[in-house]
Amino acid sequence: MAAPPVSRLNIAVRIGAAVLGGYAFTWGFIALSVALLFAARMEFHDAETLATIVGLLLFVAAFLWAFAARSVAIVWTVLAGGGALMAGAATLVQRALT
Amino acid sequence: MFQNLRLTMAWLHTWFGLVLGFVLMVVFFFGALSVFDREIDRWAIPETRFEPQPMPSFDKVLRPVFESMQPDPGQIELARSRVDGPMATHFPVAKTWGAYTTHRDPVLGVFAGFELPNAKDPDDIIWGTRTIDPRTGKTLPDDQLKIGSQFFYPLHYSLNINWRELGTWIVGFAALVMLVALVSGVIVHRKLFRELFTFRPGKNTQRSVLDLHNLTGVVALPFHFVFAFSGLLIFGGTYFPIGHTQLKPLHDLHEVLESQETGLPHERAGVPGRLASVDAMMAEAQRRWQARGMAGEVGFLTVRHVGDANAYVSIYRAGTDRIALTGEGIHFNAATGEVMREDPPPTVAQHINTFLTGLHLQHFRHWTLRWLYLMGGLLGCVCIATGFLFFVEKRKRQHAAQGLRGARWVDGFAVSAVTGMLVAALAMLVANRLLPADLPGRGDWEQYAFWAAWALALAHGLWRTAPVAQARIAPAWAEQCLAVAVLAVAAVLLNWVTTGDHLGRTLAAGYWPVAGVDLFLLGAAAMAFLAARALRRRSGVPSASAAANAPSRSEAARA
Repeated sequence: MAAPPVSRLNIAVRIGAAVLGGYAFTWGFIALSVALLFAARMEFHDAETLATIVGLLLFVAAFLWAFAARSVAIVWTVLAGGGALMAGAATLVQRALT
Repeated sequence: MFQNLRLTMAWLHTWFGLVLGFVLMVVFFFGALSVFDREIDRWAIPETRFEPQPMPSFDKVLRPVFESMQPDPGQIELARSRVDGPMATHFPVAKTWGAYTTHRDPVLGVFAGFELPNAKDPDDIIWGTRTIDPRTGKTLPDDQLKIGSQFFYPLHYSLNINWRELGTWIVGFAALVMLVALVSGVIVHRKLFRELFTFRPGKNTQRSVLDLHNLTGVVALPFHFVFAFSGLLIFGGTYFPIGHTQLKPLHDLHEVLESQETGLPHERAGVPGRLASVDAMMAEAQRRWQARGMAGEVGFLTVRHVGDANAYVSIYRAGTDRIALTGEGIHFNAATGEVMREDPPPTVAQHINTFLTGLHLQHFRHWTLRWLYLMGGLLGCVCIATGFLFFVEKRKRQHAAQGLRGARWVDGFAVSAVTGMLVAALAMLVANRLLPADLPGRGDWEQYAFWAAWALALAHGLWRTAPVAQARIAPAWAEQCLAVAVLAVAAVLLNWVTTGDHLGRTLAAGYWPVAGVDLFLLGAAAMAFLAARALRRRSGVPSASAAANAPSRSEAARA
């Protein structure tokens, strides 16, 4: 493959973003979706199913984006930061409900 | 990452596809075999070669079986880390009993979940399973491994690595990478429609291998995507156990609300209760399904809070005639036999979920579709295997010229993952027919045969791929193809010798589970033999490019 050299560190950081960042983002998305849908009176497991379906597709997209994006810092910020924010929001919604 | 999207996607596709391809090969191949897991079971356990049976009488057959059950010794071992203090020796409280059957099961698998005394998690359950002959209630020996449904099938989704569900996580990651590889592959190639009609076997190996890779990837693209995706969804609760961790309080709230709404008790009352005739409940459930215009068999039944005043019985209709596995649950008060609740029609989310999981697990009755599933799985294997071959073909001349060994190692692992895996599976079937019937731990020995054969094939594969380092074809492929052909024929002959069920007899009787496995083995043997011959013929003629890139002397000496 005639590609310009990309540093090993850059590749490792992107793989980390794709796998760990993608997982964190998906977790946050599913958790927040379940909490919000449950708050909107959807049955818990129905909410879980729908959130997981969309979440898994997002995981695939996030994984691809982690390599396609120009800046790996932005990828890490969005995936890990976004995941943490959504997970935190899910806990807040849960507190309000239970 | 690189200067354009296509280069980045090509990098992603190549390297993730290569590394996880070895896992995906196993997942696709044993997934394809799992489509006929029940039939492989019949082949492997000759005592169970009789017609599928409906759910037997609970009162006469199942109840005595359930009442005599205890957790499996293996499960007790696994549970040691989940208790405080010593492990109980007796498990008096059964939380749940269950039995599940399909239109392809002559024998019936039953399970019982017990309270785990001194458990760290008070909701923990320890399981016991058993296989019975539903005609008599007789228990089948545990030593008889159901090679199809208890070895090949779990290999498909867990690699049979049970430590902390590690295998399931590896397979899950591989499935994610499969989806990534499909999307990135489509972006790299773009001309999807043209790939469908492009196969040039006469061109050089690198070109025709890539044609075949694209063809098999594109022709079954929806199949590959839906199966990788629904597989992830089936284990969604394992990969994202949010309802048991972060959102457990919300899940507990949901369970309380649900039990209020359904009237089905969530907890034991702590007061002993009796169990009325479950046969009468099954008859009533079938009467109600018929009244709804959807007469059917019982596919799944459970008793919850066994022996308690809060006990109830749930009876589900078999999904023989549609995609969802089971449904239309009707729940009965265990003591009185009164109907407590009929499940409402499924919600949209339930429809989507049962459709996707049912599509993947396919317990419905449709033999054409079953064969298409097998073909879809095998096409996936061809796609992955040609991916390996393309990787090697593209690099081997350059690596040979530069004295690099990457292509050679990849070829070695590819042989082991493709033909070596077939050798292992066939060695297991051969061992199944050769080991004495009364050998203690027979099922374990069959598994040892599988892993030992695979280890041997790996050693052979790494050894006999040395010529790749000089840009030639590895003899390992032809040799392992021959081994596959010999083992497959041996398995068919051994089945004949040890059980008397040769193809003439099974075909005349129309006993397709065994006839089908035998025919499939013979077909595989013929293809493996032809492949071996073609490979031999090819490796006899040194290719012009290989001669042009003759390796340096030091490289040849090292090889």
